[in-house]
Amino acid sequence: MQTLPSDDAIVLRDVVKSFKKRTIRGEYTTFKSELLRWLRGQRLPKEKGLITALRGINLVIPRGKTVGIIGRNGSGKSTLLKLITGIYAPTSGEMQINGRISALLDLGAGFHPDFSGRENILINGIILGMSRAEVRARMDEIIAFSELGEFIDEPVRTYSSGMYMRLAFSVATHVDPDILIIDEILAVGDEHFAKKSLAKMTEFKAQGKTIVLVTHDLGTVDRWCDLVAWIDGGYMRRVGPPAEITKEYKQAIALAEAQSVVFTPPALTEGGGALPQVNVTPEPAPVAAPSPVRITGVCWKGTTGELVEALTPEQGAEVCVEYAADAGCSDAEFELSLLSSDGRTLYETSTRMESVALPQHLPPEGRLRFVMERVGLLAGEYVLRVTARCAGSTVVERRTFQVSAPQVDRGVFRPVHRWVVEDAAAANRPASTQANSVAS
Amino acid sequence: MIRLVRELYQYRGLLLSLVQRELKARYRGSFLGFLWTFLNPMLHMMVYALLFTVVMRNNTPNYAYFMFVGLLPWIWFSSSIGGGASAISDRRDLMTKVRFPAQVLPTTVVVTNLCNYVLSLPLMFLMGALYGQWPTWHIIAFPAVVLIQLCFTTALTYILAAVNVTFRDLQHIVMNLMTLWFFATPVLFQLSTIHSERMRMLVGLVNPMSIIITSYQAMFYEHRLPDGEPLLILAVCSVALLWASSSIFEARREEFAESI
Repeated sequence: MQTLPSDDAIVLRDVVKSFKKRTIRGEYTTFKSELLRWLRGQRLPKEKGLITALRGINLVIPRGKTVGIIGRNGSGKSTLLKLITGIYAPTSGEMQINGRISALLDLGAGFHPDFSGRENILINGIILGMSRAEVRARMDEIIAFSELGEFIDEPVRTYSSGMYMRLAFSVATHVDPDILIIDEILAVGDEHFAKKSLAKMTEFKAQGKTIVLVTHDLGTVDRWCDLVAWIDGGYMRRVGPPAEITKEYKQAIALAEAQSVVFTPPALTEGGGALPQVNVTPEPAPVAAPSPVRITGVCWKGTTGELVEALTPEQGAEVCVEYAADAGCSDAEFELSLLSSDGRTLYETSTRMESVALPQHLPPEGRLRFVMERVGLLAGEYVLRVTARCAGSTVVERRTFQVSAPQVDRGVFRPVHRWVVEDAAAANRPASTQANSVAS
Repeated sequence: MIRLVRELYQYRGLLLSLVQRELKARYRGSFLGFLWTFLNPMLHMMVYALLFTVVMRNNTPNYAYFMFVGLLPWIWFSSSIGGGASAISDRRDLMTKVRFPAQVLPTTVVVTNLCNYVLSLPLMFLMGALYGQWPTWHIIAFPAVVLIQLCFTTALTYILAAVNVTFRDLQHIVMNLMTLWFFATPVLFQLSTIHSERMRMLVGLVNPMSIIITSYQAMFYEHRLPDGEPLLILAVCSVALLWASSSIFEARREEFAESI
């Protein structure tokens, strides 16, 4: 492994991995089967006995990025992780890893059931790559994180599965690696612990560590990753921004289901059993392809038409989208999304969804207003995304905006509401007459 | 081999912890706990002592002590070989999930058994004292003999562990061969009691374990320095064997994670 100063944490070039096939017609290679084959004079052609899991992977993971790896079952994700970790050696190709790796491929590697939690922390930490001194120094921190309390000195075999996983996860996340490799294990423990784990991951991200994550939860990918790599049938199908890739991935799955493609183990199938190609409109950079429709301005305005920078939950406001369109632009669609700052979609609608009567041919210049009686969002930072589609090309504009409020209520949105306080007697009377209402 | 040893040194913390764990785990949960480290060889010895002094009428003086001197290092050797053969193939949980040099696993087995051996030495001295056999200055050769045995055992264990990953039959074959090897080694009998000259040469010099065991017996039982020449040859051979087995191990270790 090289320790050259490089901006890339992981570089893979044409990495191929094949495995020897252990079974022939469902039969293990035993002395008997080998002998019989030898006596019959059959020889196995060499390629027949090979399973190729990865057929040439090129991937560059920049330092400090969180990269999600998605793909169908058996597409080679875990094999790729094991290659990066160094558990497997590539059959051919080049790999360059810069930095200390910690892999959370399996929680609790080397746990001994008869030992106490404390003793297992020590051995597990060392197995994961910490030194004895490091583990001892972090022991209290790990125990506190695991929330096992007095159980820490009980043998691990007496733990519930949740306790076991919590302990294992606590050790694994305290290793302090440069590169963290995670295989589908973020969801550990109850709601509270899952939250804590996520916070730990956020901390890792904030510290500028490289994270490689395999998961089937596309929501996690959208929210967490800077980059997504889609592996399909042992090839790197696409690498790019999360929203784009997950969308195409979903479409490909839906298409495969619609065409009733038989899902076969990809590694055993000729050509890798890849998902069907999707004719997606690749979301191009605005400069790349001149789109027939362009968004020339997106802004928030108040009820009286004045420009506003910061909004409050109770005020009325409108999104003002200015566009320019070429003459040939017909059947256009505008989509408007409100996103939280971590990328979750809070609300999304489009002119097509709501059958808004846009002119068949857009005027050369025009304006579209999305009028909200009341903003209704709580204080915080949000993203406004406006997408214009026309004739197969897409234009996206983003604006971050701030909502500030004196109120300290929590959540995402603020419904129209009021409080009513009544005494027991009043509860029997019609509410409207005696109500002591407090406008918020 | 140099790389292998260097990595072992690098991962000495892991090795140490694994050995510690093995030592503690072995008798964890049993009522007598660590006492079994002493009780096991003791009971083992008593069975043989009963057989050979009462039933077979052996006329070696202080027979129980004599046997103990040879039996303890033999237990170190045979448990290392037996455990080492499956050291890698039994730890799928570690091999396929975490990255660390695989040689740590067989080495752990050998070192753990070495610790057990060293820990049971006081028992041996105690027993010698009962028979009026006090250790003499000749035991200065002890570390050298232990080192040679360590070298030889480790070398064998590496080969067995590496081959057993793909050829699982080996561990069963080894188990049975070890019984034969035990009786071909002068643990229960003195080498000098073999009457046939050729047989004695065969057992005494071709079998490396005989050279080692008789060296222990020379130091502790006969109170003399062990024969230098065969030991020296064995030392050279052991290092050569260790080099060869390291190469085999190294060549195969990429397959380990995939094959188990």
